[in-house]
Amino acid sequence: MFCDEALDAVEAIAAGDLTADGRVAAHLASCPNCALALEGARQLERSLRLRAVPAPPAQFTSRTITRVRRAQWRSDQFLDVGFNVAIALVVVAVVAGVWMLLNRTGLTAVSNDAVTLFGSGFAMVARRVVPSLPRYAGAAALLATALGIWWWAERDAAL
Amino acid sequence: MEDVHERELVERCRGGDERAFQELVDRYKDLVFALIARTVQDRSRAEDLAQDVFLRIHRGLPYFRGEARLSTWIYRIVANVCLQDHGRPPGAVSLDDERTPAAPAVSDRQFGDLELRDRLEKAIARLPANYRLLIAAHYLQGVQYEELAEALQLPLGTVKTQLYRAKQQLRRMLENELK
Repeated sequence: MFCDEALDAVEAIAAGDLTADGRVAAHLASCPNCALALEGARQLERSLRLRAVPAPPAQFTSRTITRVRRAQWRSDQFLDVGFNVAIALVVVAVVAGVWMLLNRTGLTAVSNDAVTLFGSGFAMVARRVVPSLPRYAGAAALLATALGIWWWAERDAAL
Repeated sequence: MEDVHERELVERCRGGDERAFQELVDRYKDLVFALIARTVQDRSRAEDLAQDVFLRIHRGLPYFRGEARLSTWIYRIVANVCLQDHGRPPGAVSLDDERTPAAPAVSDRQFGDLELRDRLEKAIARLPANYRLLIAAHYLQGVQYEELAEALQLPLGTVKTQLYRAKQQLRRMLENELK
């Protein structure tokens, strides 16, 4: 057996994954270099097992939770902005679509006439109603007083 | 029993229970921090990365299907975070710099152990990131080869071979100390 072959097995033997027997054991017994390598591998194995275990800082949990909350808040904000932008785009698209539809069907011209008609009709009604406004207000006040007295009387009867 | 509790904890976290997530952090912080601190060998960087791991866990829990153990899934996240970290290049550490000074009351043997420990840490820092991670995980709370293989999504044989190679490199770097 050559040293290369034995040296390849040294780590596995030191870790306990392989048992040195037969040709390997014979070689390790007769070759001081390979025996030294095995001893080194065993020492390294012990040192690795004894390595200090670093502990997290005392405030680690609270700092982590704060960071998670912040990240979540940012992601929520991002979602909110995205949602609002999407809604605004949909509204713009709907308005633009309706306007294009009206335009294409020639209804925009009709709607302009309708707006003018409603405007003038509203002005005429207002002109007629304004002089009688104090009379309507008096009638409304009388009705409200009568309803009030009725409600008060009903409430007392229920008690 | 432990698995049942773990599943309940995951479900509570998924439901947005912050106390449950805090419990999860408390349960795994030692493991995650130790693993990362051993791999990156810089405490403040390790804390940042460990928090990154928990952030990823928090984001990923809704997609955790429970096919693997929670700890295995966490190992995988730790491995990804460590391997993606572009910190100090490991080759920058010299085995000869900043030797631990000898304390007057320390015996020769203790001094030898301290020096070996110091040189071992520096030698580990010179290993490639994947080897460092394997060494850190394998010698932490007796993590088995099988769990490592599953977490790193590597065949069992590859994990063993890489660990042997990592230790072979360490042994060569520490040739003088290990005699």
